[in-house]
Amino acid sequence: MRRAHAAWTVAASVLAALALQARAQPADWPDPAAMTFPPIHFQAPAPQKAVLANGITVYLAEDHALPLVQGVAYVAAPGVYDPPDKVGLASFTARLLRDGGAGGMSPDTIDEQLAYLGASVEASSSDHFASVSFSSLAVNIDQVLSIWQDVLTRPDFAQARIEVERQRQLEAIRRVVDNPVQLAVREFSYRVAEGHPSGAYPTAETIDAIQRSDLVAFHDAYYAPASTVVAITGDFDAKQMLAKLGATLGRWQHPLAPKPTIPAFNEHPAPKVYFVQKDVQQSIILIGQPAMRAYTPSYDAFTVADQILGAGGFTSRLFTDIRTKRGLAYSTGSQLTQGFAYPGIFLAYAFTRTDATGQVLHLILDEIARLRDEGVTPAELGQAREQIVNQAVFRDTSVAATTERTARVQLLGLEPGYFETYLQTVQSITPAEVQAAARQVLDPHGLVIMVVGNASAFDEPLSDFGQVVTIPLQ
Amino acid sequence: MRQPREARGPSLAPRTRRARPVAVALVALATAALVLPAALAQDLASRVHTATLDNGMRILLVEQHAAPVVSFDLMFDVGGVDEPPGLGGIAHMVEHMAFKGTTTIGTDHPAQERQALTDVEVLAYALANARGKSDPALVDTLQKEFMAARKQAQSLASQAPLDSILSVNGAVGLNASTGYDTTHYVVSLPANRVELYARIYADEMANAVFRSFYEERDVVREERRQRSEDDPQGVLMEAFLTEAFPGSPYGRPLIGSASAIEGYTATEAHAFYQAFYAPDRAVLVAVGDLDPVKDMATLERYFGAVPAHPTLHTRFPAPVAQTVERRTTVTFQAQPQIMIGYPKATYPAREAYVLDLVDALLGQGRTSRLYKRLVVQDQVATSVQTSSSFPGTRLPDAFIIYALPRAPHTTAEVEADVYDELHKLATEPVSDHELQKVKNLVRASTLRTWSSNAGLAQALAYNELFAGGWEHLMGDLETYDSVTAQEIQAVAQQVFAAQHRTVAVLQPPKGGS
Repeated sequence: MRRAHAAWTVAASVLAALALQARAQPADWPDPAAMTFPPIHFQAPAPQKAVLANGITVYLAEDHALPLVQGVAYVAAPGVYDPPDKVGLASFTARLLRDGGAGGMSPDTIDEQLAYLGASVEASSSDHFASVSFSSLAVNIDQVLSIWQDVLTRPDFAQARIEVERQRQLEAIRRVVDNPVQLAVREFSYRVAEGHPSGAYPTAETIDAIQRSDLVAFHDAYYAPASTVVAITGDFDAKQMLAKLGATLGRWQHPLAPKPTIPAFNEHPAPKVYFVQKDVQQSIILIGQPAMRAYTPSYDAFTVADQILGAGGFTSRLFTDIRTKRGLAYSTGSQLTQGFAYPGIFLAYAFTRTDATGQVLHLILDEIARLRDEGVTPAELGQAREQIVNQAVFRDTSVAATTERTARVQLLGLEPGYFETYLQTVQSITPAEVQAAARQVLDPHGLVIMVVGNASAFDEPLSDFGQVVTIPLQ
Repeated sequence: MRQPREARGPSLAPRTRRARPVAVALVALATAALVLPAALAQDLASRVHTATLDNGMRILLVEQHAAPVVSFDLMFDVGGVDEPPGLGGIAHMVEHMAFKGTTTIGTDHPAQERQALTDVEVLAYALANARGKSDPALVDTLQKEFMAARKQAQSLASQAPLDSILSVNGAVGLNASTGYDTTHYVVSLPANRVELYARIYADEMANAVFRSFYEERDVVREERRQRSEDDPQGVLMEAFLTEAFPGSPYGRPLIGSASAIEGYTATEAHAFYQAFYAPDRAVLVAVGDLDPVKDMATLERYFGAVPAHPTLHTRFPAPVAQTVERRTTVTFQAQPQIMIGYPKATYPAREAYVLDLVDALLGQGRTSRLYKRLVVQDQVATSVQTSSSFPGTRLPDAFIIYALPRAPHTTAEVEADVYDELHKLATEPVSDHELQKVKNLVRASTLRTWSSNAGLAQALAYNELFAGGWEHLMGDLETYDSVTAQEIQAVAQQVFAAQHRTVAVLQPPKGGS
């Protein structure tokens, strides 16, 4: 019985009663909802821009708060360059830049040197670019810069480490199905971006197909001064840093191969209900469709719609309705990924108990339809606008974040000042414009629905929501 | 995906306290090592302003003028370890409730709402009693009345008012988390919103209203499904803690069992809140673009109005000495995982510091002994992690090793490799070079955690609350520097003995994948 703690509760209640006597807000406390504050205008100092002799743009910003230096090279060698039969190649290449030895130093030597210096060099690849980064104590910067540059420009791709990485990836693939959220996201991304490499995921076959010669060729083709932008921040003298980079990275000469042909993005994937049967307590529900490219006018308006629908946290419609009012989920909301060369993806989600799966699907679909059909209220829009504008100050709270973002913006080809333009757009946006953007993206008949769950206990068959395609659990 | 109000389960990441101590600068060459730390420590100390209010609350204001923002961390000396029997997870439930608004934030009808919430509570107890008497008709009637009363109470509340006030003011990182040791509430705001912060959070400390309690109880139940029932790591961790910590609060699920959660009442949660949430158990740290005079006065004015009241002090059972290996296997539809743990002393015992270095030596980075042996050389595992303070630091805790075997290799092969490496540590002294390397690693990684306002705020709050003062953030470096190879060997011999270990293995059902 649960009465074991009854005595404890009584004791605590006595304390509560004692405390209650003194409780009330002092009369002079203002109403927090009515408190107003002048807007804060804060522009982080722009990083210094320089171009090395080989054409690499470098953004530098001194920051002497701590004796640290960090830097990153962004390279236009993204995951969407993966050939269909070798999905995972861009990531595999990045991993091996770091793990496969470089500049004649063995993998062990690099690992040991960096560890002893308390430094790090890491490499990874995303859908939009690859990054090779470092972090170092200021006092060790020369050694770390040297390793970082070798990793970026002179990787050795040691065969033994290729096999370690291959086995690591195969194990990761085996384990994806252990995690229902990871599984749902993988399958949703694949379906919503049907036929486009941004939705492709590595399988045992594609990982097994990757050979050392593929890694060498991928690096050779796409890692070059013409595809690289660098950002470095921290405790250094910018002039000296530039001289160091000029003497080393600035001498890297390598031609850039033409971009591979990437299939066109199908903006209208088949509106189906994809389902994975798994013996779980909670259904993972993802609903979405392709949206638009980032920082286009309709994108600016749609971010506001998305904020109100589910991306705005506690106050968003999905959070309020599904979580706060009904207690049907811990995780729920929506998000919009940023697309540059191809559209971003809009996604609404909720993880709910098995026997509420149908109920929650209806709630999400209803909120999507309501946003499209009824738009947003001026009060909601006002809140979303204030939130976006007031949070903007946090974009520049870290010198490193500002510098690195500036470098990424150049690589992705965004116009300088795009964010200021975005803020201005948001500030003057109307409910009608927000609704128009919602109507442009959200097509109730075009939604891709993904559910991972235990169908034997659903409250409603998924066939009520469209044509069901069952994906076998591998 | 953003996960607001995240209840942090036991995390594999080291705790803030001294596990990753404050670092100061790492230097490759020992010659320079003595200069930088002192200068950095002095610089930080010069920017910290402290106040202890009449009600016992402590405030640390840290000037950091690089950008016009401020990060707040309000930390309480209460956590899962303070829960009474039968109410496992109530600390976390209270964390979900403690910031749902107050008598003046969140409703325009406080008196009516109070009555409506009382009606809900009376029906909650009536329903629980009816269920106990197995009277289906009565249960059905009461269930309907209960739902209607909840709807009535909801109609008197404004939805998410506290959150929306903070959001429109530009809040980022609005969150809270519950650990076994402590509970804390964090948010960052534009720097001119100090008074707004103080108005809201001081009010929550004094006048919290636990509105929508039963809806939130369902949310927490969903959180448990997500973190502890469908996630194999969560499943394994609960099994490990149960086995490794019999009789200790660390042996209970932090989020609470399913049946415990489903039985919570608002009365119980509020009693827990009253029993532990008092100003003399709280530390507020604000780091950012602050005026030490004006902003401190604002914070003092609001938080000083929070009434002091007596609180409960939890008595902890003495740890039971372990004399034989403990072992448990969980069957779960997933690839195998393994967690191995050894009981150990916590701070300020010297052993705890020595084991922090062992943690770095065995588990931190690509050159750590376990990574090299299990992942690169023998390739029996795809990943291996260690923690020297699991799952907390207030009570005697454990040194743990967590690994994912790589098929077709088994957890038994992982175990064999781990034990062999632990044996080496106990029988062969660590070289000077390797010892210096891990000292460098520990210092450098800590220095990096200082670079964010929020990270620094959390570290200062934890040290102020549990380490005897925020200054300890800087005081432990010398302790680490003084650890010798002989000490590491001696501690390894003592701690990593076979009869002390607990092994938890997660395996798929036979014939399953």
